[in-house]
Amino acid sequence: MSWNRVAVVGAGLIKMGELFEQSYEQMAAGAFEAAVAAVDKGFEPNQVEAAFVATQRGTLWGQEGIGGNTVPTALGLAGIPCTRVENACPSGSDAFRVGAMAVASGVHDVVLVIGVEKMRDKSSEEGLLSRAAAGHPIFTRGETAPVLFAPFATRHMYEYGTTREMLASVAVKNHYNGARDPYAHFRNEITVDDVLRSAPVCHPLHLLDCCPQTDGAAAVLLVSSERAREFTDKPVFVAGFGVATDHPYLHEKDSFTEIKVTRMASQRAYAMAGVGPSDIDCAEVHDCFTITEILDIEDLGFFEKGDGGRASLEGETALSGRIPVNTSGGLLAKGHPIGATGVAQITECWWQLRGEAGERQVDMRHGYALQHNAGGRGSGVSVVNILTNRTDAS
Amino acid sequence: MAVRVLGVGAAAPELRMRAADAGAAWGRGGRGAVAVCAPDEDTLTLAWLAVTRALRAARIEPGDVDGLFWGTSRPPFAEGPSFAFLAASLSLSPVVGGALCAGSAHSGLEALTAGADAIGAGTARVAVVVASDAVRPGPGTGFEARCGAGAAALVLAADASGSSGDSGPATLGTRVTRTRPFLDRYRGDGELDNRDMYDARLFREEIFLPVVQVVTEALAAFDVRAWSLPDPDGRLGSSVARKVGATETPSATVYEAIGDAGAAAPLLGGIAAMDASGVVAIVGTGGGRTTGMLIDVAVPVPGAATTLDALSGGTAASYTDVLRARGQLVPVGETIPMGVPPESAMFVRGADEMLGLLGGRCVDCGTISTPPSIHPHCINCGGPKLEPVALARSGLVHTFVINQTMPAPFVAPLPIVVLDMADGSRLMLQAVGDGSDIEIGRRVDLVLRKYAYERGVPVYGFKARAQKEVAS
Repeated sequence: MSWNRVAVVGAGLIKMGELFEQSYEQMAAGAFEAAVAAVDKGFEPNQVEAAFVATQRGTLWGQEGIGGNTVPTALGLAGIPCTRVENACPSGSDAFRVGAMAVASGVHDVVLVIGVEKMRDKSSEEGLLSRAAAGHPIFTRGETAPVLFAPFATRHMYEYGTTREMLASVAVKNHYNGARDPYAHFRNEITVDDVLRSAPVCHPLHLLDCCPQTDGAAAVLLVSSERAREFTDKPVFVAGFGVATDHPYLHEKDSFTEIKVTRMASQRAYAMAGVGPSDIDCAEVHDCFTITEILDIEDLGFFEKGDGGRASLEGETALSGRIPVNTSGGLLAKGHPIGATGVAQITECWWQLRGEAGERQVDMRHGYALQHNAGGRGSGVSVVNILTNRTDAS
Repeated sequence: MAVRVLGVGAAAPELRMRAADAGAAWGRGGRGAVAVCAPDEDTLTLAWLAVTRALRAARIEPGDVDGLFWGTSRPPFAEGPSFAFLAASLSLSPVVGGALCAGSAHSGLEALTAGADAIGAGTARVAVVVASDAVRPGPGTGFEARCGAGAAALVLAADASGSSGDSGPATLGTRVTRTRPFLDRYRGDGELDNRDMYDARLFREEIFLPVVQVVTEALAAFDVRAWSLPDPDGRLGSSVARKVGATETPSATVYEAIGDAGAAAPLLGGIAAMDASGVVAIVGTGGGRTTGMLIDVAVPVPGAATTLDALSGGTAASYTDVLRARGQLVPVGETIPMGVPPESAMFVRGADEMLGLLGGRCVDCGTISTPPSIHPHCINCGGPKLEPVALARSGLVHTFVINQTMPAPFVAPLPIVVLDMADGSRLMLQAVGDGSDIEIGRRVDLVLRKYAYERGVPVYGFKARAQKEVAS
């Protein structure tokens, strides 16, 4: 029996990209307006009782720590309660979970969850390097974002014979999907050869194995299930969620062939939703790098450990595959505006569950979609949210 | 009281530059090759390596050392904790005494005499003497073709102490010294590059030969088997050797291998000669001082036979590589600062655990969490009782990356490795080199290197260095 105490009645995002012409505030407003416009039976902005905003790297636009009180003003909602949620790459998915708990607690009936991230107000080098210089001065020195996942690729290739072609097939598939998503940062298809021949970034990962640095924002409106019908006849419910943490530094990891937090968080989410991996019709997973998606689809239980590379290469995660993954284009093509990413993934799940994903629409025969992020230094945290369109579960 | 030599060790930096490459940039020739510090090496990391090797050869634990005498013309801080950083990185006792001798190429001999005097006076039972240098010549000077880098260390003890009975492998003997106020090579206050001598003939005829010959002739009265002689220009070493009738001059081999290693040069030639019995004469000069010392070798000194091996090899580096490594070619613009500056509280808390490479071992389950200051609880069982332990210094590569996207201050490619250490702990560290020798299963040793240089402060930590063979 799924949890289903909270419904998503509106969701939207802005076109992702290097949005040099837009401010953080303008991006937030755009996403909020898109979510409001998506509510079937109409929604007045002042119906929002409280907001949870996900922004992970305020350091990149000189506004560290104040996203929580910047956003209401930007939305014309100054005065409402608003809290910033920062939990690494899952910041957006965790803000969603926190917002759902705020509704389920009965404190608020209508909550806005909004993710906003300005990645490109600093140079791409500085954005990349601000991580290489952060953390422990010795153990993380030189640790740009690819360093957090490339060691897993090296070890996965060593233990399971995963190949660069298998990694590349993830990027090819996600760019194919992104080309069909009007909100994606990259809307071009690529080939395996393109990936293999792209510039080396962090052995064994090359440029097209990596997600871009993207500005973006996304928003969803949560209401208590009892009030969902006031807003829509096609509500999507929060079936369950799970969060897990692990040691933050890579040298503390038990294994370099799994993201432990993903396995733990998904098991908690499956238990809460009363479903298993085989009940999931499509999944938006954290593919900051190609290897990450291969690990995800194993650790989420869609494939056996070590089989993710083969499954990707053979199209089992494509739009027409057994379990379509990252129909939106994923982080690799849609982009990874960190705080916005999880919320944007939920937007894609919302569309898929409502049958509104256009040429990306997949068969939702079980009525469940899964959304996942993992991150933090060395994948120290993962959040999994499961959404459903099944009213019989509530 | 006689002063014995229990063991010796040598070290050379990573890079080798052909002298002709530097000469070609300025329309000159050049012959031979010189050793140059990689960007993450300096006189402190070289000293660390030489001392580590000498202690191992002498079978002395760092905790048993009560005197450290370090001679270098270039301490990493013009003023600052150079000595303390070296002592901590060697895991020496916090009560260790000694001195940092600096100021000229004569500093190595000053450290040797100071160490010998400390043993003689009974203020130290076991003293480590180390001379290290990395001379930085001005770009465009002929001096560039000769300046090298290296380090030599000796473990000294009094007759009554130590592990090998009453008479050690070698004993320090007679010393002769002369001081005269003239300019040879120097750096003015605040200057970074060494100036070459003003007039080669003046230097040779009126400065170098008269003083060095006084010292060598005094020592030649003893039955000297091998000589370590200064050779500031590539010719004077053999001139002095001829005049004193020296037949065995291992210093010439050292100069050929690594160039003029400044304060380290005389000691390197000296320890290279300690692989056979007989009297060894060590002569060093610089800064208006010249000192010679005899060492009577009874049996080969542990570590001496590997001296020349330690200086051989190295990675070929272009003149551009060398200029960048020496800090003479710098990128324009701001570099990204460290998350916390090197003077900050984090470094005060973490100094010992980073320089001494400590972990916290769980009293309940034995798991090692690294480093202790960020692990109040065990990463395995969550237990609250952790005792500091020195981590193993070798291990196997579990997985790795080679970071190829590293704008300044980083330089790509930068290999980063996850290691399964010999004590069961796991570490993630940068690796030395370009990563071409890194693969899963590769055995590595940890070596002290610089991780950063910021606000004038070198940040030291351990890096992984691949051994040659793959573990089965």
